[in-house]
Amino acid sequence: MRRLKVIGVLIAAGVLAAACGTSSSPSSSKSSGPSGALTIDNESGGTWTCDFNPFNLSYLPYSLGPVYEPLAFVNTLQSGKASPWLASSWTWGAGNKTLTFTIRKGVKFSNGNPLTAADVAYTFNLLKKYPVLDINAVWSVLSGVTQQGSDQVVMTFKTAAVQYFYYIADQVGIVDQSVWSKISNPSTYPDKNPVGTGGFTVSSKTCTPQNIKYTANTHYWQKGEPKVGTVNYPSFLTNDTANTYLANGQAQWGSQFIPSIKSFYTSKNPNYHYWFPPVANVSMFINLTNPLLKNVAVRQAMAYAIDRQKASTIGEYGYEPASNQSGIVTPTFSSWLDTSQASSFGNNYAYNPSKAISILQAAGFKRGSNGIFQSPSGQPLSFTILNNGGFSDWVAAVQTIQTSLKAIGIAVTPENLAATTYQSDLYSGKYQLAYGSETGGPTPYFELRQWLDSANSAPIGTAAGSNWERYSNPATDALINQYGATTSAAQQHSIVDQLEKVMLQDVPVIPVTESVDWFQYDTGSFTGWPTPGNPYAQPAAYNYPDWGQLMLRLVPKG
Amino acid sequence: MRFVLRRLGFFAVTLWAALTLNFLLPRMMPGNPALAIMGKFKGPVPPQALKALYAQFGLNSHQSLLSAYGTYLGDVSTGKFGISLTTQPGNSVGRIVLDAIPWTLGLVGVTTVLAFVLGTGIGIVGAWWRGGRLDSILPPIFVIMTVVPYFWVGLVLILVVGVKLHWLPYFFSYNYTLTPGLSGAFIGNMLEHAILPAFTLLITTIGTWILTMRNTMITTLAEDYVRMARAKGLPGRRIMLDYAARNAILPNLTGFAMSLGFVVGGAILIEEVFNYQGVGYLLLQAVNNDDYPLMQALFLLITVAVLVAILISDLATAILDPRTRGAR
Repeated sequence: MRRLKVIGVLIAAGVLAAACGTSSSPSSSKSSGPSGALTIDNESGGTWTCDFNPFNLSYLPYSLGPVYEPLAFVNTLQSGKASPWLASSWTWGAGNKTLTFTIRKGVKFSNGNPLTAADVAYTFNLLKKYPVLDINAVWSVLSGVTQQGSDQVVMTFKTAAVQYFYYIADQVGIVDQSVWSKISNPSTYPDKNPVGTGGFTVSSKTCTPQNIKYTANTHYWQKGEPKVGTVNYPSFLTNDTANTYLANGQAQWGSQFIPSIKSFYTSKNPNYHYWFPPVANVSMFINLTNPLLKNVAVRQAMAYAIDRQKASTIGEYGYEPASNQSGIVTPTFSSWLDTSQASSFGNNYAYNPSKAISILQAAGFKRGSNGIFQSPSGQPLSFTILNNGGFSDWVAAVQTIQTSLKAIGIAVTPENLAATTYQSDLYSGKYQLAYGSETGGPTPYFELRQWLDSANSAPIGTAAGSNWERYSNPATDALINQYGATTSAAQQHSIVDQLEKVMLQDVPVIPVTESVDWFQYDTGSFTGWPTPGNPYAQPAAYNYPDWGQLMLRLVPKG
Repeated sequence: MRFVLRRLGFFAVTLWAALTLNFLLPRMMPGNPALAIMGKFKGPVPPQALKALYAQFGLNSHQSLLSAYGTYLGDVSTGKFGISLTTQPGNSVGRIVLDAIPWTLGLVGVTTVLAFVLGTGIGIVGAWWRGGRLDSILPPIFVIMTVVPYFWVGLVLILVVGVKLHWLPYFFSYNYTLTPGLSGAFIGNMLEHAILPAFTLLITTIGTWILTMRNTMITTLAEDYVRMARAKGLPGRRIMLDYAARNAILPNLTGFAMSLGFVVGGAILIEEVFNYQGVGYLLLQAVNNDDYPLMQALFLLITVAVLVAILISDLATAILDPRTRGAR
């Protein structure tokens, strides 16, 4: 997520004044081979290391997709629709406890070796041998991965874990056994010259601290792909430098938060466009170990009192739409939203301050002389809200929350802290209220699970993976686990509906705005970008392996 | 000799104190590198990755502070700065710093020398022809420039010279599509990229040198020995340079030695604004990412450089001005 800093305002103001920027014309050639140079504009926060180890969280975003390829592609923007990638097909069996992949034939690594089922089995067993490499914790559910016949790989699970398909098939890049078996310590292996099956290659020769240059793999297994000849990925320390670079037409594919995008970017050139598809929520987390916040009436009152629309317009320039209490990101996952159920909860907790006040009064709270509600034992409803002070949009959004809650007699004091302190306090539960965001996944289930699964929680003082409010309910845990046992869409929808009910009834978290994929694109030099009408992959360049899909589908113009 | 020993002793004690602070400060900061990585991530990082990260960073093993201090002192004295945790995970800190230093030395170092030479020169000439045309134009302009925030000057230059007029490149230390090498084209491109940041630094730092030089020079010009030189009928240039400037330059020289020490710290804001890959840029990255080993190496580098610079300036002053030797 990229945010605005003070310096950015100065640059923004100036670039506005300098409005007529010239855009660089793309280079093109008449030959049928890959051509043109595409430049990605995504603030990286530092120079490149030129390491590409696909099992290291710091480096996999730069190799998984265009260089290393996974078994399947799971599209978040199409409700987790899975399409074949290195596997040509797959089937679940034995009560969803085995998963059999058929590996595609005719695929070659960039060193000329053919991809085999043995390579796939080797890759997964490598993660078992070195748990540090198993970022997605796939071995928390797997019990074995073996080759079957010449072209199949069978994965067996400890318990049915259908939801792990996304992590197994979409998030693990397949490596060449003959290369990796010679590496003495894969967990610290830098992988400067990655050997993958992907449409692009990269090496220590084409990477410098300032730029990663991806070159089209002319022997790629998908005939006629890729169409783009080279992709440059320059490093930017700050959002502001990256924004200036993009607005001046020096890059064509942006993944940036840009304040006032219409005047700063799209007005510069009719070919400049943006699309911010929502993918998860930015929410107010409620520490459920707090004696006052344990009271569901207080949480429900807050859910009614927060003006989500205002938080979206004032805090987020309207780029991030308002959320709903069901926790379903719309329009991305609209088909998952149980509207009839949500409407019975005050129209999905639509903004209603008088209802909020009546809930508090019915629960025995009384307004003190200062207008703040007090519990029957005399404790005022006065809380601090932890926030990342580095995100100016979040700071503004929390200010609107503060105003909304003050209006119904709940006092909230923002604590805008530095990123590291914020992270550490949020994860370890040292807060009363907190503003934050989960990463979500290809269906709403993933975010609901991140919020509600007690397995993701931890005692106060210990870092919790994602259940930062410390919600724990055995019935909800059972629901979450049931999802893993079914591949039926109807059953999955029914489980998510019940999880939505937990959100509506218990209000453990209050979604406020939807977090989006930041995506700007220049149609003057390249075509084939994802659009709302054709959402073939998540469009921001920091989404892996999705950005590999874009690099295969983009076509240079001219 | 006793003076030299005393200075060296002082140097050793300060160095130890700096080393110890350098060890303690990053550990007093909140958060840990695993959380920093989770926090800065924009892609689909799964919550379960936290476990893998804790293992990767060895955060599960708890070493006592005292034994960590022992290891740290041992490593530092043998030049081992460890492995970067978050900025460039797995890479040697020494390597990362060595990659960044040439850029900073080239940009900030050369600019500092240039600012000193030009500023001192203008100060000498301005004081000699006090009230003259040069004296009434340059010193006031540059003194005003020193109080303007230099990153702001940088932003204005980027917008006017870079974005609007397209005269000069304004981001990166060279055109990243070129292959770095000793070719004329690459070096030319590199120099072209250095013009804007260097110019920004130059015009905002030169004023200090002008002001101190001009003021001491004016005081010196009123000294009896200068009057004596005039009475002897020596040529003006000789009086200006050998009699007045030579004596007046002492405070400036001390300042210069110290600012050379600070060069290795880079110019954080300049490097940030111009997206220039030097030490300042690295330092900002390290602090943002809770990268203790990298932070420690950088702070240590800066501390040692400043301490050495001060030591040299102390010794140089002692050689140039015998009076300081006897002091206490």
